[in-house]
Amino acid sequence: MSIIGIAIGITTIVALGLITTGMEDSVQTSLNDVGAEITVSNSSSVSTNTGMIDSEIVEEMKNRTGVIDAAGSLTVTEMNMDRLKSGSSDSRNSFATTVVGLAPEKLYMMGIKNIDGKVYENGSRDAIVGAEYAELNNVSRGDDITLQGKEFNVSGIFETGSPFVDSGIYVPLDTLQDITDKDGVSRILVKTGEDVNDSAISEKIEEDYENFTTLTSEEISSIANDVLGILDTATLAVSALAIIVGAIGIINTMVMAVYERTKEIGVLKSVGWKSRKILTMILGETLVLTTLSGIIGSIFGILIPEVGLRLFDVTDFALGYSPKTFILAFGITIIVGIIGGIYPAYKASKLAPTEALRYE
Amino acid sequence: MDDYIENENAYPDDEYIYNETFIGEDGEEYYYEEPLISLFDVVKEYDKGTVKALNGINLDIFEGEFVSIIGPSGSGKSTLLNMLGALDKPTRGKIYIDGIDLVKEKDLSEFRQEKIGFVFQLHNLIPNLSVFDNVQIPLLPTGMSNKEMKEKASEIIRAVGLEDKKKQRPNKLSGGQRQRVAIARALVNNPSIILADEPTGSLDSKTGEMILNLLMEMHERYNVTLIIVTHDNGVAALAERTIKIKDGQVIEDKYNY
Repeated sequence: MSIIGIAIGITTIVALGLITTGMEDSVQTSLNDVGAEITVSNSSSVSTNTGMIDSEIVEEMKNRTGVIDAAGSLTVTEMNMDRLKSGSSDSRNSFATTVVGLAPEKLYMMGIKNIDGKVYENGSRDAIVGAEYAELNNVSRGDDITLQGKEFNVSGIFETGSPFVDSGIYVPLDTLQDITDKDGVSRILVKTGEDVNDSAISEKIEEDYENFTTLTSEEISSIANDVLGILDTATLAVSALAIIVGAIGIINTMVMAVYERTKEIGVLKSVGWKSRKILTMILGETLVLTTLSGIIGSIFGILIPEVGLRLFDVTDFALGYSPKTFILAFGITIIVGIIGGIYPAYKASKLAPTEALRYE
Repeated sequence: MDDYIENENAYPDDEYIYNETFIGEDGEEYYYEEPLISLFDVVKEYDKGTVKALNGINLDIFEGEFVSIIGPSGSGKSTLLNMLGALDKPTRGKIYIDGIDLVKEKDLSEFRQEKIGFVFQLHNLIPNLSVFDNVQIPLLPTGMSNKEMKEKASEIIRAVGLEDKKKQRPNKLSGGQRQRVAIARALVNNPSIILADEPTGSLDSKTGEMILNLLMEMHERYNVTLIIVTHDNGVAALAERTIKIKDGQVIEDKYNY
């Protein structure tokens, strides 16, 4: 019984620890994005579809000091009405897919490097899709997909590790411009040289072009850090809650377990055991009990969320295994277990044996 | 010993001279054996003095005696036994056992371990330990080697006739068998005194008789001082000496033969 009680406490700490670490990891990979250092967009309209930038400006960007490369990209949103109607339960099955037009030689600026298959050519009706998109929509190489009412052939599947990028579709910029009847681009990706000040370049762009907004990768990572900071506080709160709940459970179990043995302690005292020897015995038993419970609790702390994830078919979230979680769970259990065990044992050992023996 | 009982006036006034012969006031030669247990004006109060369990007990018990303490329930006989076993301390008065001042002594665990074997009415065995382990418990703090402990525990379990139940847990045993385990536990550390609190109280008469015979046999075989608390006159009569207690006071102290 005691083992179950303590194990439940540890299960709580471990399970919530794994989930919160997993959340942090997942957000971190989502934000580790993009090869370009500066992204330029037209702020005259919020929507990327209507706030267009002239294609010539891409060339201007390329010639600015400190810039090594620039690429225009056009982003449109492909709605999937079927999926909207069918009301899929999978949260990742969004009914809107981002279709990005980008010249094949500029794909590296989105971090797309490893492609299973081949990259499209300019002007072709080929497309490459992200691994996540492919998995969700059951698309493989050679399949045909319909984008903006036109057939495209999937020539390759890529994976960058960023869920944002991996859930999208990339097609040749000129083809997308052609079928959407648009001349310009919605964003310009700017790659700067090493040892240059990205913020300075970015500020200069905003100065020179009135309507343009820039976002440097440093800014992105600082936003990411903000998000992570908030998440960190949230997970800390959840962990603290788990620890408190777990610790109370463990203390309660130990206090009750030892309290019930008051009579036994009375017997030991009546046959000549010293209080110190009784306390040492209880301490040893507590260590064995908490360690055993720690192992059992950790196993359940892993099993329950893992089975839960599979049961609800969640694949884009992985538990974050870190030794910290387990060390924390074990440390707390042992410390709290000792306090919970030794306190009633000390009280019982200070009683006159007759008092302790009277305890039922 | 008999001289002491019959000639109380011959007792020296100021201090006791034990284990020496001397001439009393009447010109006769006396020999005073030093008592193993001496109680002087022992008072035990509960609930801030509202309840007096013991109300001025004076008593000497000698080595090797078999004494029964009898009295109605609530008379203080169990409290007295607990005082003798150093399981509790008196509110006032003095208790000496084998030269040890039980009131002054802070750590009585060693005293209990070396001198006392306690048999409780409800045997107080530890339920999740085997018969063997229960019997071995008093030996664990002695620093004895494992082999020695095993031998001693086995010998005493054999003596109480439970050799075949060694590995069983107490809840698998009958009441009488449990009491025999308790007796084995009380005897395992060769105590000089066995204190038994209603050892037959929870047993039927036949089993009770068996337990009493066992206790008496142990008393004779190991020459231990045996003190039994009972409310049963028949049990009390088996002892060499019977001390009657009522309202926390000794009302009669007699030798049966």
